[in-house]
Amino acid sequence: MTGAPLPEPAASPTATEAGVPSTARPPRPRWRQTLGLLARNPTAAVAATVLLLIVLMAVLDEAIAPTGPNEIAVEDRLQPPSLAHPFGTDDLGRDILSRVVLGAAVSLRVGFLAVAFALVVGTVIGLLAGFYGRWVDDVLMRVMDMLFAFPAVLLAIAVLAVRGPGSGNTALAIGIVYVPVFARVTRASVLGVREEVYVRASRSVGASDWRLLTRHVLPNAAPPIIVQTSISLAFAVLAEAALSFLGLGTQPPNPSWGLMLAEGRGFIDLAWWLAFFPGMAIFLTVLCFNLLGDGLRDVLDPRQRTLMAGSGR
Amino acid sequence: MSVIVFGLVHLVPGDPIRLALGTRFDQETYDALRARAGLDQPLVEQFFGWAGRALAGDLGVSFRTGETVTSLIAERLPATLTLAFASILVALLIAVPLGTISALRPRSVVDRVATVLSQIGISVPEFWMAIVLILVFAGTLGWLPSGGYVPLTEDPGGWAQRLLMPAVVTGVVSGSVITRFVRSSVLEALGADHVRTAQAKGLATRQVFTWHVLRNALLPLVTVTGVQLAYLLSGVVVVEIVFAWPGLGQLALQAVQSRDYPVLQGAILLFAVVFLLINLAVDLLYTAIDPRIRR
Repeated sequence: MTGAPLPEPAASPTATEAGVPSTARPPRPRWRQTLGLLARNPTAAVAATVLLLIVLMAVLDEAIAPTGPNEIAVEDRLQPPSLAHPFGTDDLGRDILSRVVLGAAVSLRVGFLAVAFALVVGTVIGLLAGFYGRWVDDVLMRVMDMLFAFPAVLLAIAVLAVRGPGSGNTALAIGIVYVPVFARVTRASVLGVREEVYVRASRSVGASDWRLLTRHVLPNAAPPIIVQTSISLAFAVLAEAALSFLGLGTQPPNPSWGLMLAEGRGFIDLAWWLAFFPGMAIFLTVLCFNLLGDGLRDVLDPRQRTLMAGSGR
Repeated sequence: MSVIVFGLVHLVPGDPIRLALGTRFDQETYDALRARAGLDQPLVEQFFGWAGRALAGDLGVSFRTGETVTSLIAERLPATLTLAFASILVALLIAVPLGTISALRPRSVVDRVATVLSQIGISVPEFWMAIVLILVFAGTLGWLPSGGYVPLTEDPGGWAQRLLMPAVVTGVVSGSVITRFVRSSVLEALGADHVRTAQAKGLATRQVFTWHVLRNALLPLVTVTGVQLAYLLSGVVVVEIVFAWPGLGQLALQAVQSRDYPVLQGAILLFAVVFLLINLAVDLLYTAIDPRIRR
């Protein structure tokens, strides 16, 4: 019946009438708002920029390193920092700057792999435990607690002993150590979100578990997980350096910051630059990840966020 | 827990007897040693055998050196204990004042500096700090020895000198972690309702402070300190190596590398026990500090 007029729809939502914000202009996407807020925090912004530079350096590695990392030039050994070799040379005459740059690629790769592993496995476990509760929760968290109680360094060393040394296995070892952390953070967050109105509402209209988890629970439980990711990246890089330092991680002649420290240690009174620059690199990278994590935490915490967003606009 | 320890340890490939014999390998000795160590028995039997003996206090004999595990651990324990407690002392000496002042004057210069410093303290690689300190204080200035351990009873001066740098390194890192906790828990305690009530009642600020604020802020502090202590006692391997400090961490590392199962199992068992004991102590402290929990 095309002739009959359709009944007027309920009054279109305006700010004054229905108490619902006007839909005239779509709101800024949440993640853009997050980035904007983050940019206002000077330390976090600087940290993020430095990190980007480091990542860039790692990605471009071969292209920008002045010389190859394994180019031995024995006549040039143990040169202090100079114009030709800004970070000096090591006992085999290799340019330390190049090795630091290439070490970045190795350390970052291991760090990212380790955290990716821990993130995926830990988040899934945490989601399942938090969402389903009861015996699923008990069993899963009991396993996580046992893993957690193991001294981290020993666990990593043990995994490496089983699988053998090397970068890939180091990533696995560090990843395994961090799974319980991600599981716990996710679970706590999920427990909070699970009882929210929109989850119950969706469930009452018959949404499947999968839909609930992917569309409602996970996106809203995400903020603490994101913060944890940044912080874990910091420690993953540190852990890779420590394990390589012990001789268990990246193997020579591949450059790795930790390995360079170990090698440099023997020459400490002759040539301090062997150990100093790689260590500095580790320190800087870890510091930036930590600062970024702090900034993210401030921004993603809902209460802080309204404070920050309100004052700026 | 012990099952996991046992399982994990035996998963590690590599044959300890073969490693221990090295170039003096001969089939007869190998078989005899293997039988003596019980390695030819099925794993389950081995586990129960070990667990049973462990309960009686016998942790077995090291494959590598032939000494009993108990004596090896006992040898290293004083060094680890000394370092752990010295580090916690340093950590608390840094963290409590710094964290409290930061909380009392948020966003002041002190607070900002403290935050930055604690961030740096957490991020700095311990082994790098150790190396730099050795370079400066032992190498260039020559004030302190570069490592080793001397028991207190033998030579107090030497003991203190050698303890200083390692304790500072681990103490600073732990301290930075604890500082942030102190700051946030004091801040929270300051803003609590009962504190405002007390101030409104007209109680002198000092009284308010010690009685209400500190007591409440103490709880998270105790937890964090406990966690740090447990971590320190499980052996900070890297610092031990740089400073040639003969602690449990080094022992555990050697055990893993030489597949010295008895030592490894013993060490991990010890760490687990320590962890439990510390948790227990923390719980007890909680009830002492906060009467509400007793109910």
